[in-house]
Amino acid sequence: MKVSIFTTCMMDLISPQVGKDMVEVLERLGCTVDVPEKQICCGQPTFNSGYVEASWPVMHNQIDALAAIDCDYIVCSAGSCTAIMKEYPTLLADDPTDPNGQYMAQAKILAAKMYEFSQFIWRVLGIADCGAELTTVATYHRSCHMTRLLGERETPFWLLENVKGLEVRQLAGIQYCCGFGGTFSVKESAISELMVTAKVSHAEATGAAVLISCDPGCLMNIGGRFNRLGKPIKIMHLAEVLNQNVDERRIRKVSEVPTPAPAPFP
Amino acid sequence: MGLKTSTLPFNERIAAAAQDQFAHASIAKAQDTQYDKREKARAELGHWQDWRKLGQSIRQHVLQYLPDYLEEFSDNVEKRGGHVFFAQTTEEANHFILDVIKQQNGHHVVKSKSMVTAELDLDKKLQALPDVSVLETDLAEFILQEDDWDEPSHIVFPAIHKDRNQVHTIFQKLGYTGDNDPKHMARFARQYLRERFLEADIGITGCNFAIADSGIINLDTNEGNADLADSIPATQIVVMGMERLVPSMKEAEIMDNLLARSAVGQKLTTYVTFEGQQSVGESDGPANFYVVILDNQRSQALGTEFQEILQCIRCGACLNVCPVYRQIGGHGYGSLYPGPVGAVLSPILGGYEQFGELPFASSLCAACTETCPVLIPLHNLLIKHREVETDRLKMMHGFTDLQMKMVGKGTASPFMFNTILRFKHLGLAPWTHQRPMSVTNFFAYGGAMITNGPGMVSGWTDVRDLPAPPKHQDDFRVWFKQHKQQRGDTK
Amino acid sequence: MTIQNREPFLDRLAQRLGQPRHQLSEHPYQQLNDLPQQTLSTKTPAELLTIARKNSEALPVTFHEVSLAALPQLLTDYVAYQGGGPLLLPTTEQFVNYQLTAWQTAIAAKQQVNYWRPDADRATNLKAAEIANISISFADFLLAESGTITVSSHPGQGRALHFLPTHYLSIVPRSRIVARSTQAIAWYQQEQAADRLTSSAIHFITGPSNSGDIEMQLVTGVHGPLDVTYVVVAD
Repeated sequence: MKVSIFTTCMMDLISPQVGKDMVEVLERLGCTVDVPEKQICCGQPTFNSGYVEASWPVMHNQIDALAAIDCDYIVCSAGSCTAIMKEYPTLLADDPTDPNGQYMAQAKILAAKMYEFSQFIWRVLGIADCGAELTTVATYHRSCHMTRLLGERETPFWLLENVKGLEVRQLAGIQYCCGFGGTFSVKESAISELMVTAKVSHAEATGAAVLISCDPGCLMNIGGRFNRLGKPIKIMHLAEVLNQNVDERRIRKVSEVPTPAPAPFP
Repeated sequence: MGLKTSTLPFNERIAAAAQDQFAHASIAKAQDTQYDKREKARAELGHWQDWRKLGQSIRQHVLQYLPDYLEEFSDNVEKRGGHVFFAQTTEEANHFILDVIKQQNGHHVVKSKSMVTAELDLDKKLQALPDVSVLETDLAEFILQEDDWDEPSHIVFPAIHKDRNQVHTIFQKLGYTGDNDPKHMARFARQYLRERFLEADIGITGCNFAIADSGIINLDTNEGNADLADSIPATQIVVMGMERLVPSMKEAEIMDNLLARSAVGQKLTTYVTFEGQQSVGESDGPANFYVVILDNQRSQALGTEFQEILQCIRCGACLNVCPVYRQIGGHGYGSLYPGPVGAVLSPILGGYEQFGELPFASSLCAACTETCPVLIPLHNLLIKHREVETDRLKMMHGFTDLQMKMVGKGTASPFMFNTILRFKHLGLAPWTHQRPMSVTNFFAYGGAMITNGPGMVSGWTDVRDLPAPPKHQDDFRVWFKQHKQQRGDTK
Repeated sequence: MTIQNREPFLDRLAQRLGQPRHQLSEHPYQQLNDLPQQTLSTKTPAELLTIARKNSEALPVTFHEVSLAALPQLLTDYVAYQGGGPLLLPTTEQFVNYQLTAWQTAIAAKQQVNYWRPDADRATNLKAAEIANISISFADFLLAESGTITVSSHPGQGRALHFLPTHYLSIVPRSRIVARSTQAIAWYQQEQAADRLTSSAIHFITGPSNSGDIEMQLVTGVHGPLDVTYVVVAD
């Protein structure tokens, strides 16, 4: 199975470790992984800020870059970026710079191949236990875009259930945004501060030593606030967790574990 | 004050909201309470997603044929003996209402909750009339009125920012001598308001839905104040936004179900009323029935990408799920319509000069879109507003604008992005410092932190630390090239 | 002029919408799905009664089921329990239908009883409602799903009869328990279309008046009755 990594600008600029862990996990599970070279960014920073005209070239580059490499699937380390790439066909309907619809046609093909990391492992590869072990108490922060725009509410929880030694405690107020919101965190920093401070309090209240998420942007935001306040926490992307102390003999398929409960939280 | 409820600049309103500890706690509590009630009520109904589509289809159809429905409705009000006034502006509406009160020789006005009359700033206008008293009879609005007309902070729970002690103080000024138990205070309000209801000669109500095929209106309340306002006085003036139509009672009933479950987590509100001009032989209800249909810039949304906002049925669910509303409350928005719906609607009704900041006061978390009972894509409409302000009206200027344009260029060109990757570590070095780390594995780059970054980055570092970007040699793509070589790929 | 400023107002809207007016007759609303009609549609009358009771009592509403024969005694007991008159009763043939004419005479001998009178003016009927400790109405339907009674005004049963008295009781025949608001609305529409119903007000009442406006703590009895009783009569 040929898999392209959709790197995201976050991974390139801030969190290379997440990419390395993703590649190692996916290769261990039998994928042939490649990284399309010319890809940069899904376009959300400008598009969501209202710079829509400036966003069309960003999206076009992304489409060209990802389409340049033959693959069965495209896997992304961020729920948010996955969601907007799945929305490309809708967004490009308003694109005046794609009069012949060639980008639209490519966008539809790419959107169908696009998966967020955790959902790819569970729903496509059919793997329930990656063989990882992490003996600690953790809590999971759910990103808004992954939950609501991508509609993936379950696979991170299901995968974490099978990490040996890991106790996951429910984060109160899990439905509330952490205050990242891309450029929102910069432009409306006063509001963002209130939101992220509330999230830090909730995370602290769980008593967890580790905060896990599937969106590096949220982790950077919550972690940055923790650090500013001088409060301790370890932050980890799910890919890092699933690449910890792996014993390949523990790898289990979805069909080999009990059917998990539906979305544990709203 | 009408649509605009504050003269303070946006950042000062946010600062004030951040300071208001009580409002903060009470809004969070209210959101959490409503969360459970609302989700339970929707789950009990079953097939919620299909109910939403049904509600959306009704509202979209009505907007599509709005002129026809308004014509039908007004014809039917007339047939029943009532009057209809189409007001394009708030001034026209106010002028007409004051005229009616004068014509009917009204002296005692009782009002039930209506956001549209607040849009008109009608209370102020009525107060200015000699020999006319005006009383808000919804418990929350009564509290606000008696607190020197404090501004509402929620479209369903207007006094959500006040606690029982504050209400207690307000009621003591009216002669209340009891304790601060909400039940006792509500009984006092009942007695106080009852006396004034009985002397009322003009009732002013809102309208949840106007029934086109029969010329009557549909009101949903829990307290019953609207029913007293439409029973006791001989004259009723209904004030409604022009979009609040449904074809018939059949569709109103569907909307009432969606509204009650979304607004208050009930199957139906305690009182669901269909009423209009008094029929022959009846002795109470309005002998004189007036409907004021207000545009006030709503038509600006018709036929545009913002038309869907007119589907809104004012349930307030988007406020109740909003993490920004949770933090800054209704007063933070500075608009009569706060929360996600307000951030979309206010710039349409009041213009971008007044409300241009509101579409940006959202993290686009889409909780609003997810909860809306009539499927308004609220977060997408916020982006549309941003696009209008940025690309079409060119309202963004200065250094931030320049930086955003550079972000656009940098994320569109592989060559430029590569250059950024090569120099990001060094480029930010002047702002990078070693400092104590309480967070471990902060993207695994040691103790180097940016704490007072340049340009737009300062918005980030005002609030939180930013891990310094990795050196180019540590980038993912550099690692992957080596990894491929080790893997034995030929390329 | 009973309709003012209409034509320019509507023309402007049509212009904004980019389509001519008077398109509706060719494009009436088609209900997207039949969820309103399907919800609870498979319940038997006995099941609907059970659901109605459960949902009413949760409001809270005091819920009684009685035979026609036992109805007068139940009403007498109710009046005593609520502390007696003044009572406000509607002027209606329903007292005959429910065989309550003897009860009317008997209760009037013991309590102050006022009627909402078709021949009285607004002030007189409102006064009777204002001073009433108890009012009794005859409902058109009881909705199982929400525990709601529905009433329609007529010259002998005004609007305020349901709202001003302190305690409120509504009588509904067992055969008029329906699944939900959908069925009640369908009936009202049918009666209006056939000119059998000229009521200017239809009220769906779901328990006692209440408010959560102070700290979201639910309190009952804000403007309307403090408590509500439904009486389902076997028929």
